[in-house]
Parts: sequence; C-alpha cells; structure tokens
Amino acid sequence: MRGVPDKPGAERELGKAHRLAWLSIAYILSTIAMLFFVMSGSQALKTEMSGEILSLVPPTLFLVGDRISRRPPNRRFPFGYERAVSAGYIGAATALLLVGVYLFFDGGMKLAMREHPTIGGFPLFGHVVWTGWLGIAVLVWSGLPAHFIGRAKSKIAEVLHDKTLAADAEINQADWQSAAAAVLGLTGIAFGLWWADSLAAVLISVEIMRSGWSELKTALGDVMDRRPLTLDQKNDDPVPKQIDEFLRGQPWVKGVIVRVRERGREFTAEAHVVPTSDEVSVEEISRVGELACKLDPRLADVTIAPVKQMPEDVARARNSKEA
Amino acid sequence: MLRRWLVFLLMVPAACGLPRDPEGTSGRVAASHELRVGVTDNGPWTDGRSAEPRGIEPALVRAFAARLGAQVLWSRGSEATLAEALKHHDLDLAIGGFEAKTPWKSLAGVSQPFAESADKKKHVMLAPPGENRFILTLDSFLSEHLRASKGRPA
Repeated sequence: MRGVPDKPGAERELGKAHRLAWLSIAYILSTIAMLFFVMSGSQALKTEMSGEILSLVPPTLFLVGDRISRRPPNRRFPFGYERAVSAGYIGAATALLLVGVYLFFDGGMKLAMREHPTIGGFPLFGHVVWTGWLGIAVLVWSGLPAHFIGRAKSKIAEVLHDKTLAADAEINQADWQSAAAAVLGLTGIAFGLWWADSLAAVLISVEIMRSGWSELKTALGDVMDRRPLTLDQKNDDPVPKQIDEFLRGQPWVKGVIVRVRERGREFTAEAHVVPTSDEVSVEEISRVGELACKLDPRLADVTIAPVKQMPEDVARARNSKEA
Repeated sequence: MLRRWLVFLLMVPAACGLPRDPEGTSGRVAASHELRVGVTDNGPWTDGRSAEPRGIEPALVRAFAARLGAQVLWSRGSEATLAEALKHHDLDLAIGGFEAKTPWKSLAGVSQPFAESADKKKHVMLAPPGENRFILTLDSFLSEHLRASKGRPA
C-alpha cells in the first residue's frame, strides 16, 4: 500500500494505530468533560485542561494526515502529499508553544499576586464532597491509562516510521507527569497551601512549552529537508550512509554525494555520482538505482544523477560544518 | 451500594480536617463565635433598611451562624466594598442577591447555589477566596437548604 513501509505486518500495525488514535480522542474528550466540571478555582486544573485540549491535535493530525499523505502525486503536487503532515505540525507546535507561554505567565501572575484558589463543595448523590478530591480522581483517570496508550503507540511508530505517531506517544507518556504535578497542587490546597496550586500550574506550563519547542524544531527541520534523524530525533539516520557505501561499492563509481530527504514516513534520495569513465550504460544506472532503493523499506525513490564533476552547492552538502 | 462507598471514601479526609483554610477562617469563627457578614441591599434577597437586615438571605445566614455556634456581626456596603473586604479577609461572608455568574468571582469565593429564581438564575453567597474548609461547610449547608426547599427561594 502507498505510504506504508514495505515491511511484513506494517498494514496491520497501521490499522492498530488508527484504532489507538480514535481511542485516544475519545479518552481525552472524556477527561476534558470531567475536568470542566471539577476545575473550579484551580489554576493547575485549568492548565492541565488546556494541555489535554492541545493533546487532541496529534491523534487528529495522524488520522487526517494519514488520509491526505497517501494521495498519489499529480501535476500540481508532483512530489505527492507526504509533507502535508509536517505542514500541519508546524501550526500545531506553534500553538502548543504559545499556549504554554500564556499559561506560564498566567500561573506566574497568580503566584506573584498571592491569589488563593477557591475550591468548594460539589453536590454528589445527595452529599456535598470537596471538589478537590474529585479533581484528583479525574487526574488519575487522565494520567494512568495514557501512559499505556503511549507505550503501545510508540511501538507502532517505530514500525511505521511515523513521526506524528511518535510525538503523540511521547506526549501521552509524559502526561502522567503533568497529572501528578496537578495532584500535588490539589493536595497542597487541601493542606491549606494556596501557592501549591499555582506552582504546579507553572510546572505543567513549562512541560507544555518544552514539548511545543521540541515539536516545532522537528517540524521545521522536516520542511527544511534537514538530514534524516532517527525517530527519537537524537541521532542521524543510517540510511544516507548506507546508500553512500552501496554506491561507492560499484566499480564504475568514482565519487558520490548522497542527499536524503524525509517526507512524512518516506525517504527520497538524490545521489550525484562522478563515474570513472565517460561512458556508463543507462541500464547499469537504473539497475543500481533500483537496488539502492531496496536498501531500506522507507526509501520511496533514489535518483542517480551522473555528473562530470560535483556542482559547487552539492559539494557543500558534504561539509559537516553548519552555518 | 457502590455509591455509598464512593461518597464515604470522599468524606474520609473531611474527618481529618481536610481541606484546610489557608487563612484559618473556620478556626477563627469557632474560637470567637462571631461570623462577620456584609450585606448589600437587593430585595427580596436582602433588605437592609431596618436595624437588623431582613429578607431571604439574612434568615439563611442566621441559620448558618447558629449551626456554627456563632453570632452574626452585620455590616453594610456596596458590592465592590464587600468583595474587596472578603479578599482582605475582613469579612467572612457577603450577601445581596449575588448570582452564580457574578463578576466578583475573581476577588471572592463563590458558594454553591441555595436557590434558583424564576428566570433560572442561580443564587449564591460570597466567601473569602481560598478558604476552602469554610466554603465547603457553607456549601454543605446551602445544598441541604436547596434540597429541602426544592430550589424555591425562601
């Protein structure tokens, strides 16, 4: 199938990823609805709710993006639609970052103004219970299963090489930390420590900003054709090196510069090759190109461009120095 | 059965005195036997023309004070002065036909509704912000009243 790596079981994993994305959305919506009722005056719960609303974006982008990115290329979009998700991600990450900054100042101001959060009673089955306890119950509901959903997603993301899914999984897995911070905030209020709430809110907002910043960096890198990175964004992906070594191993090849682009789940490679002699058969070039394309299931296309000498700009790509 | 256990579980901390008041309002009322209440005129909820305020809300406040074993110390003022006094913990309670969507929410703590008027507006009292033990006590009292009166004012 188009847009799915050529691996055994990949399609089944994709189906699983879809079900998990829908499960996440339903689950986050239930958390938001409950938080809305028990939020009362707590800044930590307000911040947590904003975080929950934002965490609806990655699974939605995954579902929408998966549909769009499979469309075949056409005259208007000759490279296909794989990048659609990256484009969406820039918007989502910017929103995440800005909301994080806003909540940081909101919580910080409440702390500075020494505002005491008011959390009163909640009528429940003919009794009145303190809303703070209900808040803690909702936070446990929001934090615990999210961790397991996140773990399942990150395994699938590895198989599909899907960054949206990987980021989504990371957000789910980090969710218990912000939920725990909010629980501490509410427990603080219960013990009469009014500042615990705003402090927890500030900590959660820092986490929102941090994840916004790292998503934005990833998304911008994608649209700028940064050298492919591994799914955790920590190391260089081995694919460019593999292609480079493969091409250098061909007897007719003298010099090679390989540039690989990451487009959604796929890679496209461009290899400038200086041959040893002036004559290379077209058949040989396409044979090597096809073989190179099979080096990794994520490679969608390898273009081989024979040149007399390396164009200046292409030669610069070899420099390890960054501007 | 499950419900009863759930409610029981949620009430256990209350027995340990949680939540607490950051500024100790409940403790002060219990020790001094005085409940400082601010009134602003807003008939039929409050009527401050006579020496002792009358109306639906003053009657409720007296019942609440009796429950706490306290006497009511009345004072009068505009909504703005009452809200400001609550914020500085110079008052324990403010009444005057406040509705659940009151703009004073940012200064004071808002109680659970004790009545619903004919136009579906929920009526509340205002308390010092963040005094959560005190507000919980008030909320329990007002919710009881709401159930007993089935939402009708008075």
